[in-house]
Amino acid sequence: MDIDWQNFVQLLQLPFMQRAMLGGVLLGTTGGLLGSLTVLRQLSFFGDALGHSALLGISLGVVLGISPNVILIPFLVGFAIAITILLEKTRLWNDALLNIVYSASLALSIIILSFVKEYQGGLNQLLFGDILAIRPGDLVFNGMLLASCVVYLGLTLRTQMLLTVNESLAKVRGVAIARQRLAFVVLLSLVVAVAIKSVGVLLVSAFIVIPACTARLVSQRFSVYVVLSALCGGGCAISGVLISALFDLPSGPTIVMTQFCLFLVAMVFPKGEAIAT
Amino acid sequence: MPAIAAPILTVDQLTVRRGSRTAVHNVSFSLPAGQDMAIVGPNGAGKSTLVQAILGLLPYHSGEVRLFGQHSDAQSAPLLRQDVAYLPQNFLADARIPMTVMELVGLGWDRLGLQLPWVGWRDRRNAVREALAQVEASHLHNQSLSSLSGGEMKRVLLAYCLVRPRKLLVLDEAPAGLDVNGEAEFYALLNHLKQDQGWSILQISHDLEMVRANCDCVLCLNQQLLKQGSPEEVLHPDILNAVYGVGFAL
Repeated sequence: MDIDWQNFVQLLQLPFMQRAMLGGVLLGTTGGLLGSLTVLRQLSFFGDALGHSALLGISLGVVLGISPNVILIPFLVGFAIAITILLEKTRLWNDALLNIVYSASLALSIIILSFVKEYQGGLNQLLFGDILAIRPGDLVFNGMLLASCVVYLGLTLRTQMLLTVNESLAKVRGVAIARQRLAFVVLLSLVVAVAIKSVGVLLVSAFIVIPACTARLVSQRFSVYVVLSALCGGGCAISGVLISALFDLPSGPTIVMTQFCLFLVAMVFPKGEAIAT
Repeated sequence: MPAIAAPILTVDQLTVRRGSRTAVHNVSFSLPAGQDMAIVGPNGAGKSTLVQAILGLLPYHSGEVRLFGQHSDAQSAPLLRQDVAYLPQNFLADARIPMTVMELVGLGWDRLGLQLPWVGWRDRRNAVREALAQVEASHLHNQSLSSLSGGEMKRVLLAYCLVRPRKLLVLDEAPAGLDVNGEAEFYALLNHLKQDQGWSILQISHDLEMVRANCDCVLCLNQQLLKQGSPEEVLHPDILNAVYGVGFAL
């Protein structure tokens, strides 16, 4: 495969490409940061369920004549809160319940869309995303979201650690479990809603799960793990965008494959003791 | 006449339900400051339920819990519980959670709330080292939790409880899983905490010999409070026979 380096360098100078790189770093870092806790709390499927339920929000938006960009964030935040309440109120396994929720929301969204004669919303873009379509306004929002996550996790890191290790220990120490859980799922749903635009419904959970699992394979300390997960997310995103530009590949899937390749490298890393201590 | 210490914990007519079943019925007692109180009783007697209700891990149906002289409700409990250390019955560290012994014990030192993670790191590090030395687990400080044996985990959890001075230590069958020497050292450490540092201790135990040797007072529970008093009064053959079955004696 011939690489046109001159074309590649010219491409990097285009504003949409620079926005894609910056957007990718912001999204990847945010996904890795929140993903580190999501994975440890065995909520990996939560991101997947949220991603698929986005289709329901979009279909409702189509029926009600509301732009997907407008309806997606409030819909997903509300949906995440509803799922959290559902998880607390039932005695079923989390993964089983999340499977029920996302299957039902997917089925309902397909039924709703079947009533719409002409859908111009770009279902393909929703399913697969387009990081090259990031606008300056999106960058501002993504930056604010990353800053919020860093401040929230930075100021509550000790609480988050104890909550992850053992909820009873945290509760006895006076941690408001429900409030912490709510804040976390709201942030997670915002990240999913924003990431869907770039990587699509089908791949959004990779942004949450893969960097965290990669970081876990090479770290034994909690704080190191969280930072590594964020770095993996951000690093893979910019690498993926660059590789996709270099070889003219679709950006979202290339980012996910970059994450996957790094995960494979981490699998053969000698058990992480070097980074751990 | 010696002054009677003010109670650290007062439980008044506490009733706790689990679903439709009454697990603890109308229990009242108080734990004076600096005392070591044991709760004994057969399996299913409601011992863990009582402790969990006191700690706010379970809601109670009626009655009142007073911690450090203050009514413990939804609003005041989070602040009051900052002075309570708790060692649960079955603490299993998920091997997939990346955490070292230093990090876990350090969590016991932190005042949980909004704070920058690096604030007080030097004090935390020193306190963690001291706590680990107290439980003779200094050599474990850099180990990951997943690599610890059951006995080592007990020591580390005890260090988590000791790392910051508190007023009340609540133990749910804490020495279970320790060998004979480990158990003796464990109780020696509890005595040190009580006598030298003024901690009050509330512990659930099935080891009646150890309770007789080490505790100041005993509650005998079987859904309701059957007897409370000194070990000699409560661990009497007649009472033990009635609770555990005919022929039971220490």
